[in-house]
Amino acid sequence: MRELLLILNLKAHGFLKSVFTPTWQGLFKNLSSVAIFGGFAVGVFFISKASTLYLLQEAHIGQFLFHRFLSMLLYVFFVTVNLGNMIVCYATLYRSQEVSFLMAMPVTHAKIFLIKFVDNFFYSSTTLSLVGIAMLLGYGSCFNFPWYHYVATIFLVLLPFMLIAGIVAVMVLMLLIKISARIGIRWLLGIIVTLYLSIIYVYFKVTNPIELVNEVMKHYPDVNEYFGYLDPPFVRYLPNHWVTEYFYWSINGDPTRAIANVSLLFFTMLGLIVVAAIVGRRYYYESWLAASDALVMRGPGRKSIRFRLFEFGRKSFLRPQNDAVVKRDLWLFLREPSQWLHLVLMVVLILIFLISMTSLELRLSQPLLQAVSFLVVFLFNGFLIASIALRFVFPSVSLEGDTFWVVRTSPYRLNDLYWQKFRFSFLPLLLVSEFLSIASIGMMRRDPQLIVLAAVSTGFVAAALTSMNLGAGTYFAVFKEKNPIRVASSQGASVTFLISMVYLTVVVIILIVPLNNYFERLMRFGDQPFSWILFPAVGVGVVSLLCVAISTGLGLKFIHRDY
Amino acid sequence: MIELRNLTKKFGSFAAVNDISLTVPSGQFFGFLGPNGAGKTTTIKMMTGLYAPTAGQCFINGFDIQKQPYHAKLQFGYVPDQPYLYERLSGREFLYFVGGLFNMSSDDVRKKVEALLDMFEIGAFVDKRAEEYSQGMRQRIVLTAALLHDPKVLIIDEPIVGLDPRSARLVKDTLKAKTLEGLTVFMSTHLLEIVEELCDRIAIIKDGRIIHEELQNEQKRFNGQLEAMFLELTK
Repeated sequence: MRELLLILNLKAHGFLKSVFTPTWQGLFKNLSSVAIFGGFAVGVFFISKASTLYLLQEAHIGQFLFHRFLSMLLYVFFVTVNLGNMIVCYATLYRSQEVSFLMAMPVTHAKIFLIKFVDNFFYSSTTLSLVGIAMLLGYGSCFNFPWYHYVATIFLVLLPFMLIAGIVAVMVLMLLIKISARIGIRWLLGIIVTLYLSIIYVYFKVTNPIELVNEVMKHYPDVNEYFGYLDPPFVRYLPNHWVTEYFYWSINGDPTRAIANVSLLFFTMLGLIVVAAIVGRRYYYESWLAASDALVMRGPGRKSIRFRLFEFGRKSFLRPQNDAVVKRDLWLFLREPSQWLHLVLMVVLILIFLISMTSLELRLSQPLLQAVSFLVVFLFNGFLIASIALRFVFPSVSLEGDTFWVVRTSPYRLNDLYWQKFRFSFLPLLLVSEFLSIASIGMMRRDPQLIVLAAVSTGFVAAALTSMNLGAGTYFAVFKEKNPIRVASSQGASVTFLISMVYLTVVVIILIVPLNNYFERLMRFGDQPFSWILFPAVGVGVVSLLCVAISTGLGLKFIHRDY
Repeated sequence: MIELRNLTKKFGSFAAVNDISLTVPSGQFFGFLGPNGAGKTTTIKMMTGLYAPTAGQCFINGFDIQKQPYHAKLQFGYVPDQPYLYERLSGREFLYFVGGLFNMSSDDVRKKVEALLDMFEIGAFVDKRAEEYSQGMRQRIVLTAALLHDPKVLIIDEPIVGLDPRSARLVKDTLKAKTLEGLTVFMSTHLLEIVEELCDRIAIIKDGRIIHEELQNEQKRFNGQLEAMFLELTK
């Protein structure tokens, strides 16, 4: 126990030291983080409150249906926490140098497992906890929860809920790593992707939200009744269901049922902790050895992907320096499974989004609703681009890593390297975002002027988001971190993502009034003045170029700092 | 030729390198000695452009590393103390990458790599990925990369660390032969026997300042007193 406390104490000291850096730059970084995370939390609070009030008081969907929607949202939240923990877990529990060091010390494997699990859980779940707490506050404010209700819910409901997701993640990963020794890493990754897509698909297939709405609405206006018999039996075993049942019975004055659901959640968490401790004690070292062996053994006999055109040593139309950097970035990307696996996941997300767009009917009669529907689709595109940029562009400078000395001591100009990274990121991002934008807006409305507006604005948005992520990725570069996923989930990355969201909000604000006017004019007079589309596009352009200039200035300055 | 003029590097109020000036003429094998934390690596990082000096200048063959980095960097090859490579590239791919950064055509790199394969005995593993390399293999790949563009100056930070006796001999012989061909070598090391065997001249740095400089006596290797002198000066 003594060494466990010693290690945890050292880690806490290290963390506090890194957070409270006694320099102006450190102070500025921390204040910016607090301001941006705080602003983000306030935004989530208001969205949660407004949507709860809207669904219950305006749309009159009733408390039962509302809590079933909440349950679906929590299911997605659960899977996100679970996946996030699993992805980061591999780096923390199996690839970390700290684990290698501790394995050589007289510390039991169970303790190392526990230390790294706690480390991993806090690292990968902090932002999602913030989202969860802000959502809870927004929801609770609609029902006038007293302060102790929030405290109890955070510690007895939210924390156990997230811990269950985290513990399940680490146990599944341990099992998969053991299996991977037999089937190979590529098959394993394929199985994980298929498994998670199936889990989400089956859940929504079985819960069938449309049928649920139809069944409940048959009882209108008595929609506040409890229609528990409509729940498919298997959802009663899911933690998201227990959480929403707790909320439902809390606000409907039945503390016995509420406490029963909290107990279920809490004791499941305790049970899982015990199981995880036993599994960790028995299998962690074994799986760690299997992961280490897999890394060593994948060398000889491995079939590498080869594209002769991009092989080193082949003649190229690029000048030698750019050719070398492009080929290096391409091969390092293709040979890192976590990189292309995430790319595949993003592509799947894009395809799901586009398929959903084909079944949406958005030819609404109200001009404001038309403008809003256009912007929702546009914003979702922006959100996808921001996620892709955060995951792939933000870590690109950090990934120069320990090997940055090679480029830094060569005659390759760092400004050239920066612009090369910009081009390498911007072109694919532009293609994806333009495809997304033109396809989705085109499916929604076959209005050429709107497609032009979407295409032009998306081009600016892609440029701004690439620059913001590259610039901030340079400013917040973590050269010691080899795992791109950990770089993309660092504090600097979270700040960058929130700034991207603020930027997208500004773009929406610029577009909403001119779009409303455009649709109003279109409906009343049937004409589509091009200038009405041109001005907002110019507005988006000016704001975006400003972001490009600031971010690029920052990036070009900080890429030259001491290495 | 290497010239350091009043080179200083401060981290906050701490001066890691404090106003050092040095000139290493062409073709000289220069040993840069000092205890841990004396400022050797910081000096080398300023010479190679990895750190910007707080004050002073560094010239490599007449080019200021801060003001004319492109030309200055064409002049030297650098071997760091930790030979980090791209784990997912093979040694050969790494060499092509470095050649590209020095604006060499792929044909030139190919010819040069073939010539250096034998010199450093890297042929057996050059096509494996770096993640499979030992420390010694990495060191030899980095040394090969540093000589790929035929530099006039070689800057080396701890070249023998991690090498087995055979590889160490190989590296020492290569460096000696290259110096005879006119290469200027600036080498930082802790290993006094290597200094005695290879260096024409030494400087000892302590607490960021150069406290001693000495030229090698051709008959007597620093009069056999290098270890005693080092321990006395750095205590």
